[in-house]
Amino acid sequence: MVLPFTVVVRTGRSLHDQVVFAATKAVVTGQLSPGDAFPSVRTLSQELGINPNTAQKIVATLIERGLLESRPGVGTVVSSWQPSANPARRALLVADIERLVVDAKQLGIPVSDVIEAIRKAWK
Amino acid sequence: MEPVIAANNLSCRYRRTEAVRDLTFAVEPGTIFGLLGPNGAGKTTTIRALMNILRPSAGEVRVLGVNSRRLGAKELVEIGYVSENQQLPSWMTVRDLLAFCKPMYPTWDDGFAAKLVTDFDLPLNVRIARLSRGMRVKAALITALAYRPKLLVMDEPFSGLDPVVRDDLVRGVLERVGDGQWTVLLSSHDLDEVERLVDAIAFLDNGGLVLTEPLITLMSHFRRVEVTLPDGAAAAEAADPAWIGRSAAGRVVQFVHSAYTGPGSDLEIGARYPGARVDVDPMTLRDIFLAVARHTRGGNRLPSVNAEEVRS
Repeated sequence: MVLPFTVVVRTGRSLHDQVVFAATKAVVTGQLSPGDAFPSVRTLSQELGINPNTAQKIVATLIERGLLESRPGVGTVVSSWQPSANPARRALLVADIERLVVDAKQLGIPVSDVIEAIRKAWK
Repeated sequence: MEPVIAANNLSCRYRRTEAVRDLTFAVEPGTIFGLLGPNGAGKTTTIRALMNILRPSAGEVRVLGVNSRRLGAKELVEIGYVSENQQLPSWMTVRDLLAFCKPMYPTWDDGFAAKLVTDFDLPLNVRIARLSRGMRVKAALITALAYRPKLLVMDEPFSGLDPVVRDDLVRGVLERVGDGQWTVLLSSHDLDEVERLVDAIAFLDNGGLVLTEPLITLMSHFRRVEVTLPDGAAAAEAADPAWIGRSAAGRVVQFVHSAYTGPGSDLEIGARYPGARVDVDPMTLRDIFLAVARHTRGGNRLPSVNAEEVRS
């Protein structure tokens, strides 16, 4: 079975976070729709060549964030997710935005170009 | 639960050379454990001791609850063993080999063996002598997996194999996921290769244990720190014994924080270097090993880290 989303694994970063990000991206961009089957822990582990316990944690995180749900007898499927109001993760995002602004300033990219790039990525 | 493998002050000596000394580590059930280190670090010696191929000169290693010196048929049918230079009977075909191994193991699963042969794309009717090295490792792995052992021990299983064969082997090993409490110990000198695969590691260097820890805590408390000092500031000496491998060039000070705890550590670094720009980056397993090995080879010790503190 091929994974229904793409993961480009880079070393030095947490594998868990990278796969969670890739799966979240597939769900929020509509590449995966509510009700679609999500790969099992075994498939995830084999396809990515990752530790099964890590694969288990990835699925658990996605369920906890309301992006997946486990249906008895069916397996794990994409849920009809709602935007989350998690304050801790919002705070992290603010830090990421700050980093983006600092890097853009240092590289001399005007704010209008940054906003334009964000608009493109948003779609 | 009792560890699947527990080494207690294990030492092994070949004549006058102490190949490993005073190793203490434990492999928990249901985990993939990496025995890591450069060539000559003592990985194979440790594996030979736990498989009862070699007698420890001091200390002991317990496997499946039994002292390695007393491992018998009852335990050996529950252990799969694949070594780097395994001698398979070269005149046999893969089919002969499977038929030869099967009667030794009451739990041999023909269906599982057949599935692995298909997955591995292994020709059944070719003599082992004519198989490539990658094919031979695959054949060895099938004979070690087909009886569904509780413990799989692999000595440098991937070394010198091309990436496709390696990927097949990893899939074969991960085939047993969800099979309950199944435990894997593998040794490797290639740290990039095992980083994704293991739950916990032991780093060996020059026959000694450098550190042993679950990967998740290890990765969380090692950080590469780069400090860019403001104009005119002098580079202060390291404030904390956990800051290792410090180097300074011009206005830039670099070191590895071996007991990083997040915001608390950031404050500590900021206080030591007022007004400086501080970059903190996660490290790969390989970078961590290099930093730690350089530090301990210089005769230094690594401050112990409270794993609970790291996690919070």
